Amino acid sequence: MTERSLLNQLIDALRCLPGVGPKSAQRIAFHLLERNREGGARLAQIMADAMLRIQRCRRCRTLSEHELCGICANPRRDAGLLCVVEQPSEIVAIEQATDFRGLYFVLGGRLSPLDGIGPDELGLDVLESRLHDEPVSELILAISPTVEGSATAHYIADSAARHGVRVTRIAHGVPLGGELEYVDGGTLALAFSGRRAL
Amino acid sequence: MQNPVNPVHFENPPVVQGFQGFVLHRRDYTNTSLLLEVFGSGQGRFPAIAKGARRPRNPASALLQPFQPLWLAVVGRGEVRTLTRIEGAGRPISLQGRALLAGFYLNELLIRLLGRQDPHDRLFDSYQAALAQLAKADDLDTLLRQFELRLLAELGYGLTLDREADSGEPVRADRSYYFEIERGVQTAAPGTREPILSGSTLLALARGISLEPTQRHEARRLCRQALAPHLGERPLQSRELYRRWYGDLHRIEHEPA
Repeated sequence: MTERSLLNQLIDALRCLPGVGPKSAQRIAFHLLERNREGGARLAQIMADAMLRIQRCRRCRTLSEHELCGICANPRRDAGLLCVVEQPSEIVAIEQATDFRGLYFVLGGRLSPLDGIGPDELGLDVLESRLHDEPVSELILAISPTVEGSATAHYIADSAARHGVRVTRIAHGVPLGGELEYVDGGTLALAFSGRRAL
Repeated sequence: MQNPVNPVHFENPPVVQGFQGFVLHRRDYTNTSLLLEVFGSGQGRFPAIAKGARRPRNPASALLQPFQPLWLAVVGRGEVRTLTRIEGAGRPISLQGRALLAGFYLNELLIRLLGRQDPHDRLFDSYQAALAQLAKADDLDTLLRQFELRLLAELGYGLTLDREADSGEPVRADRSYYFEIERGVQTAAPGTREPILSGSTLLALARGISLEPTQRHEARRLCRQALAPHLGERPLQSRELYRRWYGDLHRIEHEPA
C-alpha cells in the first residue's frame, strides 16, 4: 500500500473550501506549487493564525481576534441602535451598503425547532441581557424573510417588548431594477401591504 | 444504430407529474441546493432535492418553505428524489406566534411518525385542513388534539375514547376514567393512581367538539401519553421551543402542543 503523498493530502484538504470540487482543488494545488509558492505559504500562515485566533466578539458575537470587535469597541457608534443579523457576513453587507452607525448582534442562524436550534443556540440570552444593560432605544431586525426567520423575529420582538424597546424590521419588497412581472407572489404581496406614501 | 448494450441503462427514471405538496422541513444542501422533506398528496413523506434553489433570484427558494401549498413534480428512482417542477398552489398559509409553533409541531410529528412513502392521502387532507384552521383558529388545543388522534388512527393506533375498554360500556360525561396504553379507557376506581380523565373530555375528543378550557389539560396529557411510545425517547423540539417562548416568557400555563 502506498502512503498518501503530501500533494494528495493538499488536494484533499482544499476541497473543504465552498464550491471547490476535486478538479478545482487539483488546479489550485498545482497553481500554488508551480507558480505561487510564496502566496501559498502566506495563505497557510494566515489561515493557521486566523483559525486559531479569531473568536466571537463578547458583545455582538461576530468574528474577531479581539475580545471586542472593531464596531463594538468604537465609541463613536450609536449604542442606542442595535441591528440583529443572522451571519457575520451580513454586517459587512450592511456596513458597505448603508450609513447605519449603530451596533450589531449576530444570531448565527434562525430558530429552527426541527433542527434543534433554539433560543440558547442563537445567544438570545446574551441579546436579552444587552437589552437590559445597554441604552438601546431601537432594535432593528435584519433577519431573512423565511418562515423560520419570521419565527425568530417574533420571538425577539416579544422579549424586546418586555424591556420596552422599540422593535423594527427591515422592509421586504421588490428589488431595485426588478420588474414586477417577475417578482414572486409572496414578495409582491409584502411589498404591496408595506407600501408607503409618496 | 440502436445501442444493444445494457438497455436498462437507457430507461428514464420514473417521473411523478403534478401533485400537491407541502415542505415539512428544509435544509441547505451543497452550495446552491436545498434538501427538503416533502409531504405530497398521494406520495406520502419523502426527501427531495431542489437543485439550484438557493441561487440568487431563484423564486423556488421563496416557495419552498413550510406552510406554502405547492404544485410539484419529481423524478428519480432512489429514496431521495429530485424536484423538476415547483409552483405555488395558492398563497402561503400565514401563521404567527402560537399558531406558527403549532405548525412546526405538526411538521415535526409528521417527520417523526410517518414512514417514508406511504401515501397517507386522508392524512394529507387533514394536514392541509389543519394548517388552514391554524391560521384563523384561536382554539389551538382542539385542533391539535384532533390532528393527533387522526395521525394515530392513520398509523394504525387509533384510540377508542367513547367506550370503556373492557366492558364496552359507553363513556358517561359525569364519570371519571383513566387511560392505559395497550388497554384503553378504564373506569377510575377510588384511589386510582393514574391521572384522571373526565368522561366529558373523552366524549369531546371522540366527537371532535371544541374542548372547554378545563378539559384542555386532560386532553393534552392523554394525547401525549398515546403518542409517547411512538415518538421514543427524543423530546419534540417544537414542544421545547413552545415552552421556552410562552412558558418562560409569559409564565402561561396553557401549552397547546
